Amino acid sequence: MNKKGKRKTENKKIRRGAWLVILGTWVFGFTGIAAAGETVKFKESESSFYSDLFDQNIYNEGVNQLDLGRWRRKLFGKELSSKNVNLFDEVPDSWFFKNRQGRERLSAEALEKGYQETPGPDLSQPLRVTAAEQRGMYPRFWATDARGDEYLLEFDPQGNMELVTGAEIVASRFYYALGYTVPQFTLLSIKHDQFQVAPEATTWEETGFKKALSQSRLEEYLMVLPQNEQGLYRASACKIMKGKYRGIFSFESRRKDDLEDPVNHRDRREIRTLGIFASWLNHYDLRESDTLDISVEKNGQIALKHYLADFNGALGSTQEGPKAPMLGYEYTIDYGETLKSILAFGFREKPWQKKWRLAGAKVSGSPAVGYFTSDLFDPARYKTEFPYEAFRLVTRADGFWAAKLLVSFSDEDIRAMVKAGQYSDAKDADTIARTLSERRDKIARFWLSRANPLDGFSFSGGKLFFKDLAVENGFASKEGTIYSMEVVPEGRKKKILRTETKEPSVNIQPEWIPAEGEVKILLRVGRASSKRLSPAVTVLLNADGIQGIRHED
Amino acid sequence: MISKLSKQAVVFSAFFLCLMAAGYAGEKSRDPYAPIYTKPLSAESLKDPLSRLIELPFKLIKWPMDQGIIYTENHRLDKKAKWIYERAVEKGIKPLAGGSESTLIPFYGAELNFMALTKQKEKHPDLFATTTILHGPTSFFLVGSEIGADMIGGSGFHASGFFQYDVREKEPFYGIGPKSSMGDSTSFRMNTTKVGTVAGLSFSPTVDLSSVFSYKHVGIHNRAHDGKGDMRTIFAGQNIPGMNGEDLLDYELVFNRDTRDSQDQATKGSYQKLSFKFTDGTGNSQARYFTYLLDAAKYFQLASPRRVFVTRFFTEYNQQIDHGNIPFFEMVKLGSSGTFPSRSQTSRAYVYNRFYGEGAMLLNLEYRYNVMQYKDFKLNTALFFDEGQIFSDFGKICLKYFRESYGVGFYLSYAKNTLLAFSVAHGNEGPQFYLDNKVAF
Repeated sequence: MNKKGKRKTENKKIRRGAWLVILGTWVFGFTGIAAAGETVKFKESESSFYSDLFDQNIYNEGVNQLDLGRWRRKLFGKELSSKNVNLFDEVPDSWFFKNRQGRERLSAEALEKGYQETPGPDLSQPLRVTAAEQRGMYPRFWATDARGDEYLLEFDPQGNMELVTGAEIVASRFYYALGYTVPQFTLLSIKHDQFQVAPEATTWEETGFKKALSQSRLEEYLMVLPQNEQGLYRASACKIMKGKYRGIFSFESRRKDDLEDPVNHRDRREIRTLGIFASWLNHYDLRESDTLDISVEKNGQIALKHYLADFNGALGSTQEGPKAPMLGYEYTIDYGETLKSILAFGFREKPWQKKWRLAGAKVSGSPAVGYFTSDLFDPARYKTEFPYEAFRLVTRADGFWAAKLLVSFSDEDIRAMVKAGQYSDAKDADTIARTLSERRDKIARFWLSRANPLDGFSFSGGKLFFKDLAVENGFASKEGTIYSMEVVPEGRKKKILRTETKEPSVNIQPEWIPAEGEVKILLRVGRASSKRLSPAVTVLLNADGIQGIRHED
Repeated sequence: MISKLSKQAVVFSAFFLCLMAAGYAGEKSRDPYAPIYTKPLSAESLKDPLSRLIELPFKLIKWPMDQGIIYTENHRLDKKAKWIYERAVEKGIKPLAGGSESTLIPFYGAELNFMALTKQKEKHPDLFATTTILHGPTSFFLVGSEIGADMIGGSGFHASGFFQYDVREKEPFYGIGPKSSMGDSTSFRMNTTKVGTVAGLSFSPTVDLSSVFSYKHVGIHNRAHDGKGDMRTIFAGQNIPGMNGEDLLDYELVFNRDTRDSQDQATKGSYQKLSFKFTDGTGNSQARYFTYLLDAAKYFQLASPRRVFVTRFFTEYNQQIDHGNIPFFEMVKLGSSGTFPSRSQTSRAYVYNRFYGEGAMLLNLEYRYNVMQYKDFKLNTALFFDEGQIFSDFGKICLKYFRESYGVGFYLSYAKNTLLAFSVAHGNEGPQFYLDNKVAF
C-alpha cells in the first residue's frame, strides 16, 4: 500500500471515528425521545366505581396501615414534599396541568367560555343518537352532530331543572381555569324532534342488558326528562375527545409506560390539591374512575393527556338530584367517623347532621341549586367519597399553592364562570356564586393561616419585596403583623442575622450576597393573634436576583 | 480535511451536549413556571422495600378482585342480578336466603306466589296462594302453602287455609327447666306436618284479630349428632313428654297490633301480640293444655331518630289441663338471637334452644344508635341486655334462675332492609356470635 493509500485509509478511519462521535452524541441525546417513540403503546388502565370503592375504601385503607414509611412520617411529624415543584415553588405546565389563572388572570369571557373546540353540537341537522345508557330513571346519550363530532349528553332529573347540567358546566369552567385538562362542555337546549336514532344504536338498560335502541325507546327515555316552558330539553354536552382512550389515571402511582410521567401522581402537587379544589366546588365524587387518559399526537409526538371528566356531582348536585346531606363530610365507608360515633354511644352529632338539623332536615335551596351552602363548611374536614392518600398528603406548601390559586379568582371571576351555567333565575346564579366565594374564603383563610402566606417576591434596589396574601385578602390584619427575616449565607447552616419588620419588604445588604452561590433569606410571619411564627419561606438570592423560593411543608 | 471533519464533529457534539444540559439542569430562568427543578424529576417507589414486601400477599388478592369487580361492572352483572330478582318476584317467585340459627350455614329457598304466576293477581287482588320452600343444609327443610283471601267483600275480614311440612335435622335439647346443663347435650330429629285454617278481622292496617284452627303431626326421631348424645339415653330417668311424637289439635285466638314504621329496622311505634291457645292431643297423645302468650315491644326515639331504645317483653305460659301434658317440643324455648321466634326466643348469650320450659319470661332491652349513614345505607350499633327465665309455674319464678345476656351488635341496612346483622353476646356460658340478615325485633 502506497502513502496515498495509507493516508486515505487513515482519513477514512478518522472520518468514521468523527461520525461515530456525532452518532454517539445523537444517540445519547435522543435516548429519551427515542424511548418515548417506542412506548407510544400505552396500556389501558381500567377502573370502575366499585373497583375504586374496593381499592380506596377497603384495600388501601388496610394496606396503608402496613406502610412503615407512613407510620414513620406520622410518628415523627414528617411531611412528604411534592416532587414536581420547580425552583420557584410552582407547578410547571404538564399534560396534567397548565397554569392558566395562576399565570395570568383570565378575562371574564375566557372564564365563562372554558375549554372550547367548537361552539357545541351543530343542530343544523338532528343529532344522531348512537348509544344510550339508562342510569336509574334517567338516560344519557352519545350523539353525533352534523359536523361529525361526538358528544355525551346528560340531562337534569325531574323537579330539578338546571341542577345537574348547571353543575357540570360550571365545575368544568372552574377546573379548566385552575389549570386542569377537561373536555369541552357546552349547554344545549334541544327540541324533541332534534334527536334521531342512528342505525345500529344500542342502549344499556337499567336492567343491565344491552339492547338495540329503537326510536320508540328513545321517545320513552325523553318522556321522563324535564322540559322548560318552551318545551326544550336542557343537556350538558361533553365533546368526546379525539385520540385513543387509554383508561384512567391513578391518583397514586405514575404510568410506567409514559416517559413524560416520571413522578408518582401522589407526589404531584396538582393531584394532591385536587382534594382542596373539590372541597371548594363540593365535588364529592371526584374519583379516579371519572378521569380519562387519551393519547394524542402533537407535533409528530405521541403524548398522553390526563383529563378530569364528569362533574355532575359538583355544587349542590348529584346525578339523581340534590346532594344527600352527608356527601362531602364522610367517605363511603368512613372508619374514623364510624369509630368515633360508636365510642360516643350515639351522643355525637356529626357536622353534617348538625347542618342538616339546622336546615330543618330539608333542602332549602332552589331546585336548580340543590344542597349547596357554605354553612358549617370546614375546609380541613371535607371528604370526597373515596379516601385518596394523595389528598391526605397535602402539605402546608401545597395548601398555600392551592390557596394562592383560589384567591386569584375574584368574586367577578366566579360570577363569570357561574354565568356559564345559564341559570334561568338570576337568584340561583347569585346563590351559587356567593356560596363559592364564601367557600373560597374559608379555604384560603385556612391554608394561609397554616402556611407561610408570603408570595410575589421581587428584588430590586437592594430590597426584597413580597406580598402577604393573608393581609391582602383580608384574612389577617396588617396591624400587629411582623415579618421575621433570617439570613443564612451560602455553605453555612447557621444564620448570621435575624431581624423583624412591619413592612412587606426587607433590606438585603450587598455583603450578604456571595460572588458565587446564593444567600438564603428565611421569612416568617407573626400575627398579634398568635404567639407562634408561621412556617418559613426560603428565598434564594444572588446578584442576578431571586433564584429560588420554597415554602416550608 | 480531517481536522475540518473532526472540528465539525466536536463543535456539533458540544453544542448538542449544551442543549441537553440546559434541558436537564436548567438555566435559572425568571419564568416562575419554567420546568426547572433542583434535581431532575425521577421515578421513586411509593413505599420502602419492607412495606412492599409486607403488602405483597394482599396485592396478589387485589388484582383478581379488581378484575372481577371491573368485569361485573362492565357487564352490569349487578344490575342484571337485581333485574332478575325483581322480575322473579313480579312473576311470583321470590328468592329467600338468610342465616340459620342452629348452624353457620345460611338457608335458601323461594316463595312462590301462584296468583302472580298464573297472572290472576290483577283480576283477584285480594286472593293469595303461596308456597314457601326453604332449605338449610344440615339444618332444616320446610315447605308450606297458604291459600286465602284478604279484605273479603271490601271488609277487613280475611280467611285462609294452610299446610306445612317441616323437617329439623338436629334440634338441640338440654333438658327441661332452668337448671338444665350444657353438658346434657342431645339432639333429635323432628318432622312436623301441619294443616289448618285462619279466619280473622283486620280492624285497621295496624290491628288484627284472628282465630286459628290446626292439626299437627309431630314425629320425633332420637339421634345423636356431632358428638351429642341420644336424648333417650341422657334423660333415661326423666319423664320427657312427647318424646315419641304427638298428634295435636290447636285452637288459637291471636290479637296483633303493629304501629312500627318498619318491621325490620323500626325507629318508632310498637307492636303487641296476645295469644290464647288450646291444644288437645289426638290418638294416643296425652297432650292437653292452654297457652297464654304476650309479646310486646316499644321503640322510643331518644330525642333523635338516630337513637332508639327498644324494650321488649315476652312471656308465655303453657298450663296443663285435665292431667294432660305438654310435649317438650311445644314448650317455650330460650336461646340464640331469636330471629325465628317460633323456635327459640331471644336470649343471645345462650345457644339455640338452650332452655325448655312450660313457661318463660323475657325482657330484652336494646339501645340502637346510628354510627354511619351513606345515602340509603345505614350502620347501627346496638347495645343489648337480655334477661330471661324458664319456669314450670309462675310460683316457681326465682331470681337466681334468671339468665343474663349482654353484648353488642352491628346492623347494616339499606333503605330500612337489614343486609347484615352481626352480634356478639356474653353470658355465664361464654360468648356467642351471630351473623344474619335480619334482626330479632
